Formats: sequence, C-alpha cells, structure tokens
Amino acid sequence: MKVSFVSSQAITQAMRYQTARLQSDLVKATKELGTLRVADAGLALGARTGISVSLHREIDRLKGLIDSNKLAATRLETTQVGLKELTEAAGDLLANYSTALTDAVDPTIIQQQAQKMLATMSSVLNSNLNGENIYAGINTDVKPLNDFLDPASPNRVAFDTAFSAHFGFAPNDPAAAGITTAQMDAFLAAVEPQFLGAGWQGDWSQATDQQITSRITLTETAQTSVSANIPGFRKLAMAAATVAATFGGEMSKEGRIAMIERGVELLGEAISDLANQQGYTGVTQQRLERANERLSMQIDLFSGSIQDLEGVDEYEVASRVTGLRTQIEISYSLTSSMRQLSLLNYLS
Amino acid sequence: MSLSTALSIAQSSLLNTQRQTSVVSKNLANAYNADYARRSAIVSSLAPGSQIATISRATDVALFRQNLTATSGWMAQSTIVNGLDRLAVSVNGVDNATSPAALIGRLQEALQFYAATPSNRTLAESTVEAARQVVLGLNQGTQAIQTFRTEMDGQIATAVSDLNQLLADFKKVNDEIVGGTQAGRDVLDSLDRRDALLKKISELIPISTISRAHGDTMIVTADGTTLFETIPRHVHFEATPAYGPASVGNKVFIDGVPLQAATGANTNASGSIAAMVQLRDEYADGLQLQLDEIARGLISAFAETNPAPPNGEVPGLFVWNTPSTMPAAGTRTVGLAGLISLNALIDPQQGGDAQKLRDGVNFAFNTANHASFNELLLAYADGLDAPGSFVGSGGATVALSLKAYSTATVGWLEDARKTAAGAAETKSALVMRTTEALSNLTSVNVDEEMALMLELEHSYSASAKMLQVIDEMLKTLLAVVR
Repeated sequence: MKVSFVSSQAITQAMRYQTARLQSDLVKATKELGTLRVADAGLALGARTGISVSLHREIDRLKGLIDSNKLAATRLETTQVGLKELTEAAGDLLANYSTALTDAVDPTIIQQQAQKMLATMSSVLNSNLNGENIYAGINTDVKPLNDFLDPASPNRVAFDTAFSAHFGFAPNDPAAAGITTAQMDAFLAAVEPQFLGAGWQGDWSQATDQQITSRITLTETAQTSVSANIPGFRKLAMAAATVAATFGGEMSKEGRIAMIERGVELLGEAISDLANQQGYTGVTQQRLERANERLSMQIDLFSGSIQDLEGVDEYEVASRVTGLRTQIEISYSLTSSMRQLSLLNYLS
Repeated sequence: MSLSTALSIAQSSLLNTQRQTSVVSKNLANAYNADYARRSAIVSSLAPGSQIATISRATDVALFRQNLTATSGWMAQSTIVNGLDRLAVSVNGVDNATSPAALIGRLQEALQFYAATPSNRTLAESTVEAARQVVLGLNQGTQAIQTFRTEMDGQIATAVSDLNQLLADFKKVNDEIVGGTQAGRDVLDSLDRRDALLKKISELIPISTISRAHGDTMIVTADGTTLFETIPRHVHFEATPAYGPASVGNKVFIDGVPLQAATGANTNASGSIAAMVQLRDEYADGLQLQLDEIARGLISAFAETNPAPPNGEVPGLFVWNTPSTMPAAGTRTVGLAGLISLNALIDPQQGGDAQKLRDGVNFAFNTANHASFNELLLAYADGLDAPGSFVGSGGATVALSLKAYSTATVGWLEDARKTAAGAAETKSALVMRTTEALSNLTSVNVDEEMALMLELEHSYSASAKMLQVIDEMLKTLLAVVR
C-alpha cells in the first residue's frame, strides 16, 4: 500500500471538474454583470421569490394608478375651469340684474344676457373629455344638459306649458302686461320644482347624481367628477331661464321686477354653491396630488426592496468576473503543464 | 546450492518478470478506464529458489459502498433539480414572467384602467384579453404539468426495464465469478464488470451488497428488499399512457414490495427512479393543486351575486365546464385549471360583448345603462386582494387573498428549487470526493507503472545476465570435465 497514491484518472477528473465549475460560475457572473440582477432570481431567493414577484406586480399596479389618476386629474382640472367660467358668468348676470332693478334698462338686453348665460351653461356642462361628458355623473355617453334655447327641447316645452297652465296665456301674449307681482311670485313658486325639484332630472338633465368614483390609491377611492345636478347649476338655470323665456316685450313691469328679484336671490345662492363646489373639487385635486406623491414614494420603496432582493453589487460582480477569468487561465496553464509532467517524456 | 538451482531460479525470475510486465501493460492499457481496478503482481518466495507471482486486484469495500450510496443520492438530487427547473420554466416561464401570479397582476392592472374609463370599449377588450392570458396560463400550465407527469412515467418505465436488464447481466457475471472462483479460474475481469454493473444499478436505485462464499454477492435495496439473491428479483412498474389531473401514478414494486415515497426538496430519495416518482407525485401534482385553487379563486372573484334573494353566486367572467354553477367552495376541484375558460358572452372572440364585464353578464347591474358605471369593476379589482380560503400545497387550508396565494405558489416552487440546488451541490461534492478517493485507491497511475516497468526491465536484464553467467560457468565446468 502506498502512503499517498494518486491515480492518473483522478488527476484529470479533478482538473476537468474544477474547470467546468469555474466556467459555469463565469457564465453566471457575466450574466449578472450584464443585467445587474442575480442570474437566477428563483435559485437565489427561494421562498422569497414570491415577494419579488408580488413587488414587481405592485409596482406595475401603482404605475397604472398614477396613469389613471392623471386622467381623473385632467377631468377635475377641466371641471374647475368650467366652474370658474360659470361663476364669472353668474357674477356678470348678477350685476346686470342688479342694474335692472334700479335703473331703466331695455328688457331685451337683460333677456339676451340671460340667454347668453344659458348658452354658456350648455357649452360648459356639455363639455366632453376623452369621449366622456364630464358633468354627466356616470351616464357619460349622453350630453347632460338639454338646450333651453331650443323651443322643442323638453325643458323649454315643460316651462312654456307650466306658464300657459298657470296664466292661461303664452309669455308673449299681450295679456302678460297685466301680471301682478303676487301672480308672478305664485308662478315662480309653482315652476320652482322644475329646477330645484324632481323636474330637473326629467326635463333638464340626463346626468346621474352618482359621480364617477375612481380608485386613487391601493386603498382609497374618490369622487372625481361633478354632476350637472348640483344645486348651483339648477339655481343658475332657474335664474336665467325664467328671464330668458318670459322677458319679452309684453311682460308687465311688476312681473319683471318680481322675476329679477328672485333671479338675484338665486344667483347669489348659485355663486356661493359653485364656490363651495370649487372648494370640494380643489380638495379632491389635492387628494389626487397627494395620492400620486404617495404612489411614487411607494414605487421608489418597492423598487428599493426589489434592488435589495435581486440586485447585485456591480463592483463585486466585476471583480468576481476578473477573478474567475484569472482562475480559469491558471487552471488551463496548470492542465497543460501537468500534461507535460509525465515520466514518459523522460524515458527513451 | 548448485548451479542448476541457480539456473532454475533465474529462469523462474524471467518468467515472473514477464508475468509482471503483462500486468503493467494491462494496467497501462486501462489507465483511464473508470471501471478498472488496478492489478498488482505480488511476488512471494515460497521454497528456496522458486518464486510465485499472484495477481491481486485493488479494492476498498467500504469506500466502494460509500461511493455507491453517494452516487444514488446525487442521481436522485440531480433528477429533482432538473425536474423542478423544467416544471418552473414550463408553468411559470423564465423569471416567473408568465406565472399565474404575474398574469393576475396584469389583469388587475387592466381592470384598474378600465374602471377609470368604463365607457371605453377598447379598455374593456384589453381587460378581457388580460383575462384570456390568465386562462391560457392556467390551461397551458395544466397541460405542461400533465405532459411532465406522462414523461416522468415513461422515464420511470424505461429506468425500470434498464434495471431489470442490469440485474439479468449481473446474474451472468455473478455466476461466472462464483463458478470461476470454485474452479480456481482468473475472475478479476469479471469482478471489474460486476462493480461497473453495481455502479449503474446504484444510479437507478439505492443498494447495498452482501458478500458471500465463493465471491457470490447479494444485493438488497436501502429499505431492505432483496434485489438479487442468486437470481434477480423482478422489478415491476406499469406505466400510465396518458395523464390527466385526476390520474394517480402507479407505484414501483421490487419483488412485490412497493418502493417507498420520498419527500423533501433536499430529497431523501436515492436513485433516479425514486426521484422521478417524487417529481411525478409530489411536485407535479402539488403544482396542479395550486393551479386548480387559483382557477377556483378566479371564478369566485369574478362571480356575480344574484341581486334577487336568495342572492346565489353565478360564475361571471371566468366559467368552467358547468357554466352556471360555482365550483365547490373551500375545496379543490381536481383539474379546474384545465377546465377554466372565458365566458362566451363576454369574450369578443366568441362573439360576446366585453362591456358586459362592466354591466353584468348574468344579471343586469347597470340597469340605467350608464356608460361610466364602474361599481362591478372596482369590486373585481378589489376582490383579487380580498382574503379568501385556499387549499395549500400541503393540503391544509390557508387564508390568503388570491394574489397572495398565487405568489405563494411561485415561492413554493422556487423554494424547492433553491433547496434542491443547494443539496445537489453538496451531494455532487460527495460523489466527486468518494469517486476521487476510490479512484486514487483502485485506479492506475501511469508514472508509477512506468517506474515499475523500469524496475522490471532491470530485473529482467539482471536475470538474463545471470543465465548467461551460469551458462558460462557450466561451460567452464564441462570444459574441465572434458
């Protein structure tokens, strides 16, 4: 028995095995250097691979939320612009009405102002973004506001019918010159449900009270639209529509004054309602902005966690690649010099 | 001591040297034959003047046995590693990119977009498309798993028939050895062949050997079943030609005793047969169970609740082979992942309307037909994160959301891969180590043989010279006599 015996086969096998191992390590390290991620995340992480998969998935979802939040933010911005435009228009109309109360102004000018107000309302409330009517609540494929200035429109028909039913004649009938303050007040009270009550949704608006609900973070939802059914719009419509429809040449002075007085009252309330709505919308916009900030922070955090899980230190990998290459070169030169180390070469 | 004795000693020395040279040349010829055990000629002096060289074969029974065990363990472990790699790639895709977990994430993202703009038909269709990817993932995963099981079964059958063939070969060689030993013939080459056969058998099944009189060897498996005793025992396995999720694979019987089931990713299986059985039954079927549960979770997450009492649930976006009934709650429906499909009323490719996902397919939830109705969509997206109850890989019920359960599936498989790969490294190192040690003890070193040859050359020329000298001496003696 020899003290230390080594078989020729063991020598070559060992060299082969070591070289193969070094080479497979080099392949892995090179891949890691290219991607800066571990070569096989599953093998490196084991049971924690589930965490990595779910982090990747959450990041995609959060990015999706940021994108859909952008959509909601645009809608809210447009809404905000619309509300501002209507508030300004209401302010102008209020000034005109106030003037009409004290000074003698041509009634047709007031009527035109009221009609302009109604036109502005339809253009704002029927505005469309991305194929959605943004004031329509969730009934977004339909224009929410019927055009009062169109004589065939249901709201106009309903109003005219109510007038005729109350007084027994049309607004432009000469008999209108005899309408007293009390009669006009009674009519205004009678027609009010068409605007502030149940009549609005039947005749004026196709919008739903329900507004668009959006998921803005993983756990939070927000109302991200304003419906055409809010009280501010209704009061504005009433203040303008009564004047626009009946202020023709035949209306008595008492009737006009009564209407203007009611109009001023309604406009005042409408402006304050719209201001409130602007405030609510602003709060939602702020919530969205904060939500986006939080989402970005979460994305950063999750990306950091993924980096911690799957990332590799590039300097470490680079030096590992260099080390492995050196080792493989040494192994090659060793193999070749071992091959020459044979007694055969010295026997002749 | 006479000259004639000296002559005969020199003669026998020449003979022995020749015989030793033939051993050296045989050793050199087999220097790189892994199954060859080094021969050495042992020269012993018996009576004065006569030397006998006997040829012995280098062996180390303990090391050989250790090597057999290590080989069995490593074969099993590497089979597990390769099998798990194949399962992981075929079901979850490279880097788990097409795992049900990732696909469900994409579906949720699509739902999210759709819920933000419910009036958009394109988004509805892209959501249905994402749902189709989930269905395809589950269907193809099921198919891949069952193909995998069928292939494993075929490989087990091949391995079993190989094993039976090896045992038949073993009988021939063993008989030769027993007969040769009794008759005093040289059986060293047969011993080499027998060891080689044992190595091959140990790759398939864990064995230990018991040596008996006249060089006879008996083989028993690690769990104590006799595999070979004078005659080979039959190893029986009936392959199942095609697997479905409900198929149960047959066991391998050795001499009528079933092979024990192995467990663990660092497997306690030895030999590739046990490992293949473990892959077929434990991992492939475990993965199928989890896919089935994911399918059940999907059907129930997208189920629609009847608004009218008794408020029963009916499958919505995802249906299975009985479209109007829900799969049994809280328990696995075997093969559900292969049966799940998209509701034809929603799937545009089957003539359905994708917007029904928003409005309800079985019941009208969007009664007023509002374009931006998104209550159902938001509820679906949330439902994927809502806690539910699933059957885990071990059979116990776990309370997780569908998304969490689907990632746990990825974790389960990758955990097994990691453990298996780590264990494979250890076990391959053990095989390398024992093989090297065994090779060092029993194989040939060319340099040593060359050196020996030089010695023999010298010894031969010395003996030849001796003959010449004795010849001259005898001549001298005869000349004196003449």
